[in-house]
Amino acid sequence: MRLTLQMLISHGRVARRMGLNPRSRIDMLRNILTGLVRHERIETTLARADEVRFYAEKLVDYAKKGDTDEKAMKMASFWLTEKDLVPKLFKVLAPRFETQSNGYTRMARLPNRQNLDRAKMAVLEYKGNPYPALYPVKKENELTLINQLLKGYREDRAQQLAAKS
Amino acid sequence: MATRSACQLLQRRYASTAAAMRPPAADIRRQRNAVFSREQARQRALYPRIEKIEVSMQGPGLDGTLLIMNKGMSTPLSCARHLTEYHVTNSALALVDGEVWPLHKPLTHSCSLSLLTFKDDDPTLVNQAYWRSCAALLGQVIETAFKDDYTVELLSTAEVPVTSGAFCCDVVLDHQLDSWTPSEESLRSLTRGALQLIHQDLAWEPLEVAPPVALEVFSHSSYKREEVERKAAQNPKGTVTLYRCGDHVLLSGGPLVARTGLCSQYEVTALHSLAQGDWGLHRRAQGLSLPLQLQAHHTVWRKLRRRAEKLVEVPQTEEKIPSSIPDSPPPPTSQ
Repeated sequence: MRLTLQMLISHGRVARRMGLNPRSRIDMLRNILTGLVRHERIETTLARADEVRFYAEKLVDYAKKGDTDEKAMKMASFWLTEKDLVPKLFKVLAPRFETQSNGYTRMARLPNRQNLDRAKMAVLEYKGNPYPALYPVKKENELTLINQLLKGYREDRAQQLAAKS
Repeated sequence: MATRSACQLLQRRYASTAAAMRPPAADIRRQRNAVFSREQARQRALYPRIEKIEVSMQGPGLDGTLLIMNKGMSTPLSCARHLTEYHVTNSALALVDGEVWPLHKPLTHSCSLSLLTFKDDDPTLVNQAYWRSCAALLGQVIETAFKDDYTVELLSTAEVPVTSGAFCCDVVLDHQLDSWTPSEESLRSLTRGALQLIHQDLAWEPLEVAPPVALEVFSHSSYKREEVERKAAQNPKGTVTLYRCGDHVLLSGGPLVARTGLCSQYEVTALHSLAQGDWGLHRRAQGLSLPLQLQAHHTVWRKLRRRAEKLVEVPQTEEKIPSSIPDSPPPPTSQ
């Protein structure tokens, strides 16, 4: 459901067409989204991951309304084919993302699939999951030698500027 | 033939005038080295039988590693050699039972060992040791940079925090050089001397000795002898730590890092003249250096370098040196 520049240019074909028909597309995305809520990190083709990402974010937005909300409950029971995940959505994921208003998921590219179709692959995850990080964590350490030198340099500059003004 | 004999005559004459004051620098260095080697051999001979100790390693990915090493023979570096190449090249200092331990000092008892690097969570100890080692390297370069006719005396330098921007090394040059102001080229040649030492990748070998041995090592320099006595008095064990780097023996206020090859960017930035002291005109050489693991982009380096040219104020030394100088005149008169 995403409009990209390329798709805008492509004269009317504004959405990815996947599955046999719209109903089958929704069913496929439902299954993938259920897997995402259960495992919190999944590996699919890039197109499917990109497509399901929109629904995954939207679902958390609904879940934040609380489990007493009628619309939220309807959405959760529609998108999660395995019903034991409904409490997890409201009790685990909604409180986790209470502080942020968007960007609950993270997507990263994987190497192309090694079978015949060589499809582009991607990994999709909910942020704050317990797995090891996808990207190496960038360490910021104020105490390393060069950072200490730069700290002294900045203090010096600040003093000079204060003396000037 | 005539010129050669004249040359020999001149050389002899110069040598004899220099010798009247003090033996040539090469002889001093050889003598210091010889005493250092003798003492090192004696300390190694204290463990004639090979005894085993257990060293439990601590660190990321090393917990539970137990190494069986030789007592009085294995150093933390040999423990690192049992691990990976990363540990050999990146560790700068070791922590033995929570005590800072130079990497080349033999282990004497079963202990827990952790290797410190520049990229640890809290590298303050390593930074201090690195700064001290760079100052020691600067002293070594200055001592060997001048011709034999000029004497160079290294003064004890107080510790400078890393945030001050430059490490410094106090020297007293020969009184003939009092009017000399170093040009940019001479600083560059000092830098080149330091870079050659770094390229040779020399180890700083520590040796803990009793004061009489240290006095013998520094028997040609009355300033150093006083420093030895002062340091021995301050140390609760009554010993001083000597370090040898190549053929240069120095007295250190604290542990130094493993080897000169850990430095990558190194520059001597300034040689300031301080006040006239008891030993002659005090000068303060300053430099800037960064280790191989933490290199700076050239724009950042230029900014840091420009800051390192400014004179580093050491408020503690100004209080310390006057307190030590009143003590210093009596020993020369008593000798």
